[in-house]
Amino acid sequence: MKKTFDLSSLMQSKVTWAVIAELLILLVCFAIRPDFFSISYQPSTGMLYGSLIDIVNRSAEITIIAMGMTLVIALGGTDLSVGALVAVAGAIALKFLRWDVLQYHPPGDYTVCSYALVLGVPLVVCALMGLFNGFLVAKGGIQPIIATLILMVCGRGVAQILTDGKQFTTGYTPFRVIGQGSFLYLPMPIIITLVVVLAVALFTRRTAFGAFVESVGVNPSASRLSGIKAGTVILIVFALTGLLSGIAGLIYSSRIMSNDSNNAGLNFEMDAILAVVIGGTNMAGGRFSLAGTVVGSLIIRTIVTFVYYFGIVAEATMAFKALIIAVVIVLQSEPVREYFAKRARARARLNGGAAA
Amino acid sequence: MSELLEMRGITMQFPGVKALDGVDFTLRAGEIHSLLGENGAGKSTLIKCLTGVNRMDAGTIRLDGEEIRPASPQQAIALGISTVFQEVNLCPNLTVAENIFVGRQPMKHGQIDWKTINRRAAELMARFHLDIDVTRPLSYYSTAIQQMTSIARAVDIQAKVLILDEPTSSLDENEVQLLFNVMRELREQGLGIIFITHFLDQIYAVSDRMTILRNGHLVGTWGVSELSKVELVTKMVGKDMDVIFNLKRADVPGDAPYMLKAEHIGDTEHIRDISVSLKKGELVGFAGLLGSGRTETAEMLFGASRATKGSITLDGEDVTLRQPFDAIRAQIAFCPEDRKRDGIIGDLSIRENIMLAVQSRQGFMHPMSRQEQTELANQYIRVLGIATPDCEKKAGELSGGNQQKVILARWMATQPKVLILDEPTRGIDIGAKAEIQRLMLEMCGGGVSVIFISSELDEIIRCSNRVVVMRDREKVAEVDGEGCTQQDILKIIAEGAA
Amino acid sequence: MTSTKNRQTLWSRLTNPKYIMVYATIGIFLVIYAFGAVAYGDKGFTTLRTFVNLFIDNAYYGISAVGMTMVLITGGIDLSVGAVASLTGMFLAYGTSVLGLHPLTCIAAALVMGVGLGLLMGWVIHYLNVPAFITTLTGMFLARGVCSLISRESIDIHHPMIDALAGWKIYLMRLVDGQWVKVKPIAFINFNVILFLVMIALGTFILQRTRFGRNIYAIGGNEQSAKLMGLPVGYTKVMVYGFNGLCSVLAGLSYALYVKSGWNLSLQGGELEVITCAVIGGTLLTGGVGYMVGTLFGVLLKSIIPALITFNGNLLSWWGKLATGGLLLLFICIQRFVVTSARGRK
Repeated sequence: MKKTFDLSSLMQSKVTWAVIAELLILLVCFAIRPDFFSISYQPSTGMLYGSLIDIVNRSAEITIIAMGMTLVIALGGTDLSVGALVAVAGAIALKFLRWDVLQYHPPGDYTVCSYALVLGVPLVVCALMGLFNGFLVAKGGIQPIIATLILMVCGRGVAQILTDGKQFTTGYTPFRVIGQGSFLYLPMPIIITLVVVLAVALFTRRTAFGAFVESVGVNPSASRLSGIKAGTVILIVFALTGLLSGIAGLIYSSRIMSNDSNNAGLNFEMDAILAVVIGGTNMAGGRFSLAGTVVGSLIIRTIVTFVYYFGIVAEATMAFKALIIAVVIVLQSEPVREYFAKRARARARLNGGAAA
Repeated sequence: MSELLEMRGITMQFPGVKALDGVDFTLRAGEIHSLLGENGAGKSTLIKCLTGVNRMDAGTIRLDGEEIRPASPQQAIALGISTVFQEVNLCPNLTVAENIFVGRQPMKHGQIDWKTINRRAAELMARFHLDIDVTRPLSYYSTAIQQMTSIARAVDIQAKVLILDEPTSSLDENEVQLLFNVMRELREQGLGIIFITHFLDQIYAVSDRMTILRNGHLVGTWGVSELSKVELVTKMVGKDMDVIFNLKRADVPGDAPYMLKAEHIGDTEHIRDISVSLKKGELVGFAGLLGSGRTETAEMLFGASRATKGSITLDGEDVTLRQPFDAIRAQIAFCPEDRKRDGIIGDLSIRENIMLAVQSRQGFMHPMSRQEQTELANQYIRVLGIATPDCEKKAGELSGGNQQKVILARWMATQPKVLILDEPTRGIDIGAKAEIQRLMLEMCGGGVSVIFISSELDEIIRCSNRVVVMRDREKVAEVDGEGCTQQDILKIIAEGAA
Repeated sequence: MTSTKNRQTLWSRLTNPKYIMVYATIGIFLVIYAFGAVAYGDKGFTTLRTFVNLFIDNAYYGISAVGMTMVLITGGIDLSVGAVASLTGMFLAYGTSVLGLHPLTCIAAALVMGVGLGLLMGWVIHYLNVPAFITTLTGMFLARGVCSLISRESIDIHHPMIDALAGWKIYLMRLVDGQWVKVKPIAFINFNVILFLVMIALGTFILQRTRFGRNIYAIGGNEQSAKLMGLPVGYTKVMVYGFNGLCSVLAGLSYALYVKSGWNLSLQGGELEVITCAVIGGTLLTGGVGYMVGTLFGVLLKSIIPALITFNGNLLSWWGKLATGGLLLLFICIQRFVVTSARGRK
């Protein structure tokens, strides 16, 4: 009896709204372009092609970062530095690849610098920068939004200084694989995203870490007195977010095979936060939903694709993104959800009265 | 005497519960009228209807004979109904003076007249015999002064009706007397004062009439001389008092081993030097005024604040407590004083709240399965009689007493050797109070050593084997629980060690 | 009857702990200025011109920071300011150069747009209870997107009135042998600087001398309490975002006068610069604390760093970003320390 389909509670869930919004946008896309859902196989690259694949592929960076951001927001904070870290990761990776450029002129066949360094160092540096954020928050007791503002402001400066303000390019094939290669017919970024999402989900839900994050997010003081080492939890979450930003940075720079300290990861923090919020995680902290975040990230990317179909210039997509996000956010807002809840209750009462 | 305020048939429905059901309440000009009832009886809801925070579903409110329907606190204030809430509801960043006048600052030449504000604020505070710099931010001062500031604000608004919702919970004896004097003064001026408190003595000390609510219903209104304390409590609880007062102290054999021994612990800020010992199965009460160092000592024994000197021995072994985690691993448990801030994790379920301490001791890499958690939670819901449909309900939605039980369950689940309870019975109704005391004593019987901190001396004396009396951040005396009276302890608190 | 403690001496007024952050900002500005004076005094760092240029080159950030300070004091945040300012520039450029409208018409349209968007965002934040961060981020996307819809290229502004306004300046004079002569090297203040200073003065008046301003502080201190004290919380919050919209438009106007063009990508990340100015000016991002004087010095402090780097001549400009980040860190640590020590006193 209890397991009946409960529409009213479903309508009050934020994730539901996110999924409905995504489906609606997809439907409109389908109405405009009937071939929207078609997926074809391209033997030359060994990859599947299609709008849907493209949406998932292009949302990879934001989804990956938003996994960390979800945890940060569940702790009641925000991490503004992720975009800057994307730039830093790209700068470091290209810095290492550049040594090869100096030694071997023909592109595509470099061996001097170990590939492990190209991948490892940016990730370690980003994780450390995340740790720095976490340290300010956990040990310094500084509000996350303020603490991460520091790296947001000077992170790109660090990236510029690392590369002397220059933009390097590379043709190193193994590096290209990260952003443009494929695995199991799917673009590599999708595979990486899947692995990351799965890893984060397992880490939070198969251990008690997720519960600890939520507990600290709701009430830090009570959590500490219950024996949770809140500082450690915060450090892990921020370091993880840094690391994930690094991964996103590698994907990004592999897509353009270059570093771009000014534009790499620009506004990524905004998109990631949006993805989390659209996905139904409350900015005040507490309960989080990783699945919701993935949907949120997909919505953001779908909107962009959607706008392209209207033939609107790339920069102007922002305006449409804003409009659609505004609708989603308003639908998710407390008063609106309460209104639906009230109506559902009234209807239930009415039905109950009729039955009696 | 004329009826200043007349509330008739007030009804208020929350999802699932009828918080108020046809409650009548009248207030005369020039009287102090106590509003009584256990938690959840509907006192706060009634006040919220009157002050425009909540909208009532039915009923009428008349002020000076005219019907009013305040829709917001603003409107209520404009009508002459001003409120001092239990928690200080002021802005910590503004100065004392500004907190009194914000929103109705005197103006001069279209600008705020700061001079007048500061002068009048100083005068107001002087009425409370408080000689403080009113131009400093409120956060600079103690809770008592903050409370006085909010009363000063309410008084200065030229209210007809003044509502004091638990104003005395953070004040010491002198400050309470001060407040009472101010209340009497205001009564002389013809104000109607609604006074809500948990302290029965204070009701008899200051009020003229009292109205009792129970479960959203009106029990009745009496003059203070018409009802004895026992009758009053019986009417509030709705059952006989015998259950409550029939508790037996824990039985500790004289040769019982020491469970906890803290010797000369202290830090530079809060506690200078204190030694406490606790036998197996013993219940030691900590008595003393707020700020006497009771809570600080408890926090040190739990590692919530760090002792810089001294040693702590638990069950014969030396322990170092750097953080609560260390204490939990050593099987010490601590129910903090401020349930809302430090205890309950409101948005999480009862299940998660109960399993938290056990889980944090294991570390997050060794998670309990969902089934284990549910079993644990259900077990304690049953043992402690937590009133809830299931263990997935949000803990924040429970009543105060049930929340306290959830926190107690969290600690009982860790199988503690030492349990420290800081004001576990504050702000919960008498029925739940008795149950918590019973549980406490049961645990002593099971071999747990308990430290029990409370402001209410009668419950300390009733339960404790020994009473540690604290004053000015030092232990001034240790007396046997058996055979000592409230007067003995009060004397020690007032005058220091005999 | 009057107690000694309530007799307000100048000293006790000045040592009020609520001013510590402002003193820190002014102090650090003076230290850095002194450093510049010692290191680059021979290159002309100490001249009046260098000092005045700090205002001229950053007036538009300063104007926006006035509104931002208020928003931050309420405990909110507004990420849309850069985009709204940029959109104002687009209105002005596209309106005058492409549509041939009078600049005043364009400015009026921009004001309606900016203030309207601000009010709308304030309404959504308060009445729909959507976090300010998300709401204003959406506002930023919207404004930036509309910029790009108008034009993707930079448009020059040519109009006699704009030229006159941009070219108008007051030379700083000094008295030499009974005669007024221009100071050397020549220094002047322009419309932007005056607008900036007027806005600071206006902001100070609103915050310190009106009930509206005090309500802003009260809301930042504790919104729930403010509500229970009967303050008009919703009205105040909505109006603050509206006022900030006004400031953004004025900042956009000021920037358009400064560069005499409109570009859809101008002032990207401007919101961050503005927030940084306010924070190093002693405004707490948690709300409740901040002063216009602090913001004034915050703007100066932030703009003196690029000036120093220019005077040095060897450093790359992105060291400025690092230095700004360092400053932020320093200020956040000071704020942290101040808050902790204030609590410890209890």
